[in-house]
Amino acid sequence: MEEDEESADEEFEDFEDDEEDIRDVVVPGEVLTEDVKNFLPGRGTILNKEKNKIISLNIGLKQIKKNYINVIPLRGFYTPRPGDKVIALIVDKNPVKYKCDINAKEFGQLKPKNTIKKGRVRGFRGGGPPQNDVGTEKFDIGDILVVKILSADRLNKPELTTVGKYLGKKTGGIVISIDPPKIPRVIGRNGSMIKMLKNLTKCNIFVTQNGRIWLKGEDIAHERLLIESIKKIASEAHTVGLTDRMQEYIINEKKKRGIE
Amino acid sequence: MPLIIKDEYPEMLFRKDGKRLDGRDVNELRPIKMEVGVIKNADGSAYLEWGNNKIFAAVYGPREVHPHHLAKPDKGILRVFYRMATFSVFDRKRPAPGRREKEISMIVSDCIEPLLFLELYPGTSFEVFIEVMDADGGTRCASTTVAALALADAGIPMKSLVSAIAVGKIDGKKVIDLSGIEDKAGEADLPIAITWYNEEISLLQFDGDMDLEEMNEFLDLAKDALKEIHQIQLDALKRKYIKLQEETNKPKEKNDKKGEE
Repeated sequence: MEEDEESADEEFEDFEDDEEDIRDVVVPGEVLTEDVKNFLPGRGTILNKEKNKIISLNIGLKQIKKNYINVIPLRGFYTPRPGDKVIALIVDKNPVKYKCDINAKEFGQLKPKNTIKKGRVRGFRGGGPPQNDVGTEKFDIGDILVVKILSADRLNKPELTTVGKYLGKKTGGIVISIDPPKIPRVIGRNGSMIKMLKNLTKCNIFVTQNGRIWLKGEDIAHERLLIESIKKIASEAHTVGLTDRMQEYIINEKKKRGIE
Repeated sequence: MPLIIKDEYPEMLFRKDGKRLDGRDVNELRPIKMEVGVIKNADGSAYLEWGNNKIFAAVYGPREVHPHHLAKPDKGILRVFYRMATFSVFDRKRPAPGRREKEISMIVSDCIEPLLFLELYPGTSFEVFIEVMDADGGTRCASTTVAALALADAGIPMKSLVSAIAVGKIDGKKVIDLSGIEDKAGEADLPIAITWYNEEISLLQFDGDMDLEEMNEFLDLAKDALKEIHQIQLDALKRKYIKLQEETNKPKEKNDKKGEE
């Protein structure tokens, strides 16, 4: 499984939308505006009780989009949503289901019926499928999987599947994790950052929305440079002009370390 | 007949020049230093130095509740664990949580709970661990302040921060921010916490004697000091990010100027 692909990220565009201007860092309880006639509270904000102020709920960056005021969080946790592709770690298994750590508040459940291999040998005319082969994939505790979330809500545990494109067990490579709100920055606008990282370090990267990144390169030197770059992106996620700065940084580092 | 040795307190809590024993004015805070993100493995953390108080706070969550019977099906829970290190006070503090620890854990939890959106995370818990490394009066106020800071650093949505301070009466004078000795030898002690969302009182305890008029004066006195503490909290949260923003922005401006020349 050596696909050259990044995760879908249409919903996360707002982080890298206007890189040009510096945006204010706001903290919980800070008044964003008192002009409630022209502005509406958007994501990460709330009206106060008297409804004459819009205040922030998160530590993040203030952003004005049309007449909505949003706060893009800088810290936070991952909330699973149906359709997300995430990297999961199997922590427990029993005959009915696998328990997967997906970096959310609850463990995900992977049932054997959701692991049925596609394109398995079907029965032919005059005979059914082989009796012993149920067509499900077998995993062990400690395996790293790329899974898709089938269902997730506030009350029930998220249900996962390995049936689909790019999904299934990962062999080889390295998985690192960063703060989930900073994932959009690693992808960049229309995938510009991730393309740059791939071209310069010659690594395969798979970025998922729960803050985990799978990567595999030609040799350990490139992989190490890539990991350091990603950590740098995560720590400088709130600054402007990041893609250009990272490009410069990687080229300089490559010269310093003598890798091509 | 057992020998009872009483604690010795100074007769006067003010010096001859009218200042307090540690050299402060009546409405002067002890030096405060706050920092966030000090514990790497926690989801959010904060460190506070308030006079001689040194306190760490770490936040984990939302995560599954253990023991499981404490979980509520309709909302999350906030659990606070206030603990004092054995070396934090003059006599060795027994490490087992006692009556006082449980009380302070409860009041800190009750103080912060109205600010969080716990109904969004049913069946889970947020856990705040407060570890007092050095204690010198007013640790419950300091713990509340630092717990709010750690929660904000963890990225948990909250309506506002909360700040707390103790005001009181020593030798007949109204003072703010009582130190350890003033707390024990003074006449009255009134810890107050304010949630900055709508400026409501979230904690009010009282020990000693005063009349109602004095109480109102104390509240006014506390509010001014609380604003000062809130400002320090905000600065501590923003410092890390603003510093990086400025650093990365400076060279770019220089380059632009060179290009123009």
